[in-house]
Amino acid sequence: MPPSSASIGAARGPLPAAAGIGLRFPHHEAILAARPRIAWLEVHTENYLGGTPLRILEAIRRDYPVAFHGVGLSLGSAEGLDLAHLERIARAVQRIAPALISEHLSWSIVGGCYLADLLPLPLTEEALDIVCGHVDRVQTFLKRHILVENPSSYLCWRHSTIPEWEFLAAVAARTGCGILCDVNNIYVSACNHGWDPRAYLAALPGPAIGEIHLAGHSVQEIEGGLRLRIDDHGSRVIPEVWALYAEALARFGPVPSLVEWDTNLPELQVLLDEAERATRLLDRTREAPADAEFA
Amino acid sequence: MPSLLELQRAVFHSLVEGDDRMATPDVVAAGLTPAARLGIYRDNFVGTLMNALQLCYPAIHRLVGAEFFAGAARIFIAANPPRIADLNLYGEGFAEFLASFPPAATLPYLPGVARLEWAVNRAFHAPDAEPLDLARLAAVAAADQGRIAFRPHPAVALLAAEHPVDAIWRAVLARDDAAMAAIDLDAGPVRFLVERCDTAVAVTSLAEPEWRFAAALFASRPLDAAIAAAPESDAASLLAGHLAAGRLIGFALADTGNGAGAAENCR
Repeated sequence: MPPSSASIGAARGPLPAAAGIGLRFPHHEAILAARPRIAWLEVHTENYLGGTPLRILEAIRRDYPVAFHGVGLSLGSAEGLDLAHLERIARAVQRIAPALISEHLSWSIVGGCYLADLLPLPLTEEALDIVCGHVDRVQTFLKRHILVENPSSYLCWRHSTIPEWEFLAAVAARTGCGILCDVNNIYVSACNHGWDPRAYLAALPGPAIGEIHLAGHSVQEIEGGLRLRIDDHGSRVIPEVWALYAEALARFGPVPSLVEWDTNLPELQVLLDEAERATRLLDRTREAPADAEFA
Repeated sequence: MPSLLELQRAVFHSLVEGDDRMATPDVVAAGLTPAARLGIYRDNFVGTLMNALQLCYPAIHRLVGAEFFAGAARIFIAANPPRIADLNLYGEGFAEFLASFPPAATLPYLPGVARLEWAVNRAFHAPDAEPLDLARLAAVAAADQGRIAFRPHPAVALLAAEHPVDAIWRAVLARDDAAMAAIDLDAGPVRFLVERCDTAVAVTSLAEPEWRFAAALFASRPLDAAIAAAPESDAASLLAGHLAAGRLIGFALADTGNGAGAAENCR
């Protein structure tokens, strides 16, 4: 669908409040050859920092708005940001001019090593100060606001004192950053830790929500029949997450929404079908924008 | 209560070194042991890097099989956790690791194939660079031309191997069993050039003198030294070829004939 000119809130960049899909290398050819109807595309920033991938993205960028979704800045690292990495991101930002830039509420780097995962932070005042300092630094360096995404997690730290939704809201309030609300992550973490996913959504500050993520996850049977939900982005969005997405739209209004699919990647058409489903829910929200219950 | 840095170091020990003792006291158990919860992250860490290695070294993966590859990758990852968040550039040194990995000793060409795959991966992801401005080159006085020390494009690499690793690499990736069977491991050393062409990576065989000239040129030795390295070659036409292909992006004038210093940088 064509980009809409719907009004955009402070946290919302120049992306249409429509459905996009995550772009992975195996789909480059199909996108460039077929130019499918999709409102926008999002890439993992770290996959497109230079060379051939960045050149291909430049070609794709001529036809689609693009968002950068980082997995390597490690906003929660106690030892500070990797400034060389931030500079490489800034150079890619200059070439692509992404409509949105986002990162995660997590950490990945310690002792100069990148642990290749979005690791859970202890939700303490110390971590809050560190994350806010790093978000400030990134936003100052890039001269624009970023969005910070709620992670999915498989463990909680004993000394955490702040609920995740409050922590995220505090980061947004203190730094002016937006929030990337990943409804699949909310569902995964809520199931894994016994939280109420609807209460999580209700606690997020609506005007800060700049993007919503949708994805599939898997269920692993561990120790004594216990089930843990793993955020592997390798399947279709489950009905419970679609329901949570509908509720998020009712609360936050139409927000740019993205279908992520990173492992067991299917044909491009499967992703387009999932995005079409998100589009239908977005359209429905536009028809009945003000839900009295959540207003 | 651990500081954030202490906790992150504890997680490093758990994920990279497999030692959970520092981290487990800080994990909420809640129906699942702390070790099991940390284990999920350790599996993600190893799995993600193994996937990155497999994407970088697809021919090695096929040559040794999934099980052997996973075993070797696990040991390599524990000893070489990534230093940067761009996993496209993870896996440097895997060739040297394989060369000193006793179970791989029966396949003497394996490190050479790995070196080629790393060069291909680097060429694919290397930054863009504008080719040398030929007008700047033309402006160098004739007397100074021998002192020109070129800077190569970051996506260009030269490789040499004792075994026909380029033929092995091609046959394995094409799953061409007939080509694989026809390879003579004792055919002698091979030399080739790896470079990016548009959005693909090309691997081109070079004759030995051609390779010697290019090696001196890409190592930023002065032109005189490169010519002296391959006296039997038509240096002018080889240089013209490198320039036309955009393999050289800048130059400096070396202080002396030995190529040690560079007085001025030019584009």
